[in-house]
Amino acid sequence: MIDVSHLSKNFGDLEVLRDISLSVDEGEVVCIIGPSGSGKSTFLRCINRLETPSGGTVRYCGKDLTDPSTDIRRFREEVGMVFQKFNLFPLRTVLGNVMLAPVLTGRKNKPEARELSIGLLRKVGLEDKADAMPATLSGGQQQRVAIARALAMEPKALLFDEPTSALDPELVGEVLKVMKDLAKDGMTMIVVTHEMGFARDVADRVIFMADGVIVEEGKPEDIFTHPKEERTHSFLLRILN
Amino acid sequence: MSDVIHTLVPLLLSGLKLTVLIAVVGILCGFVIGSLSGYALQSHSRAAHGIAYFYIWIIRGTPIIVQALYVYYVIPSVTNINLSSTAAGILVITLNSGAFISEIVRGALESVDGGQREAGASLGLTGFQILTHIVIPPAFRSMVPALFNQFIISLKDTAMLTIIVVNEMTQKAMAYSALTFDYVHTYTTLALFYLVLITVLMLIQKLVEKKIGGVRND
Repeated sequence: MIDVSHLSKNFGDLEVLRDISLSVDEGEVVCIIGPSGSGKSTFLRCINRLETPSGGTVRYCGKDLTDPSTDIRRFREEVGMVFQKFNLFPLRTVLGNVMLAPVLTGRKNKPEARELSIGLLRKVGLEDKADAMPATLSGGQQQRVAIARALAMEPKALLFDEPTSALDPELVGEVLKVMKDLAKDGMTMIVVTHEMGFARDVADRVIFMADGVIVEEGKPEDIFTHPKEERTHSFLLRILN
Repeated sequence: MSDVIHTLVPLLLSGLKLTVLIAVVGILCGFVIGSLSGYALQSHSRAAHGIAYFYIWIIRGTPIIVQALYVYYVIPSVTNINLSSTAAGILVITLNSGAFISEIVRGALESVDGGQREAGASLGLTGFQILTHIVIPPAFRSMVPALFNQFIISLKDTAMLTIIVVNEMTQKAMAYSALTFDYVHTYTTLALFYLVLITVLMLIQKLVEKKIGGVRND
């Protein structure tokens, strides 16, 4: 479904990503782990071209997204993103946040979008907050609204950029639960995360990145119990203890 | 004293109409120009950025009186377009306020967190939709206090237009005092007129700032 090959990204002289290749199949959940500064988020942002890759290609259902003539908005309509800092629109209510994009892109008229959005808010357990302003919600609630907002475009896949890193520890669980439910429903997901428990339980595949390259990838039980690479091993030791 | 009430006050009231007209039309047109130029300032187009910067440089670098003299005397003699003093006055306030509003608009647009734009982009919105639905609403709200401040400055700047004999309040007061030599009453009354006008504006500002604390659901 999403095929990344030989992707590279430089910020000036700084080489952030080198020769990254990754294929994600429909329905697959891929977790990307690794130390800060390893290029995980940049990689994710290159997929939907929030960052322009310096080299290599990203293909979605065969279409080359790095080709400047490709309408990236089509891809973004089909593959949503959830951000570390939620990025909710502060002047709109929770419902207003969720229903904005389907209405503006012409996918739904207002009553349809409203119905869809309320259903999604129910799904993330926030139906009663539909008329609340984002600033009045906890971080965990805001992130669940952000997930509902991404789902309102009825995406085929979702990109998660450290969705729980900005949350107080006691609020992480409610967001992970929503993500688990999505995975169970068969959503294709690429998740950059520091939540090793989530990666172990939910991922079909775990990617370990460091210094801008994919060091190792495999099934979660292989990566977590007997990693082949020394760098993976030492990273896991540090983070799990 | 009865002269003050029967002659001066009606005279100033007739000048007040022109003062308000020039200030309101000038600031509205200035807002249009300032929005374009402020948007250009934070855009990636070098040409647009350069033009906006040049415009602001000219306005900030010259006194408004010189700008008025230039618009009223130089433009007609170079282009053969004759401007009435009122039209010239509106143009001066427009160009002058527009330059300062550019900076207000630029700052407000830049104050909107980049994450908001990225969220809009990640949902498949166009650049224009992101601007109109995501960036402008919070940006506009944040610039309301500065816009009112500029309005007050521009309103007071209209007094400078006496230099090109625009028949606004200060011009009328000067004409009256030149005939009567009653400087004390004339200029005290004039100052009170400005004070009342600006006070009303400040009250409107309070109301507007309170009102835009509202909610958007769609």
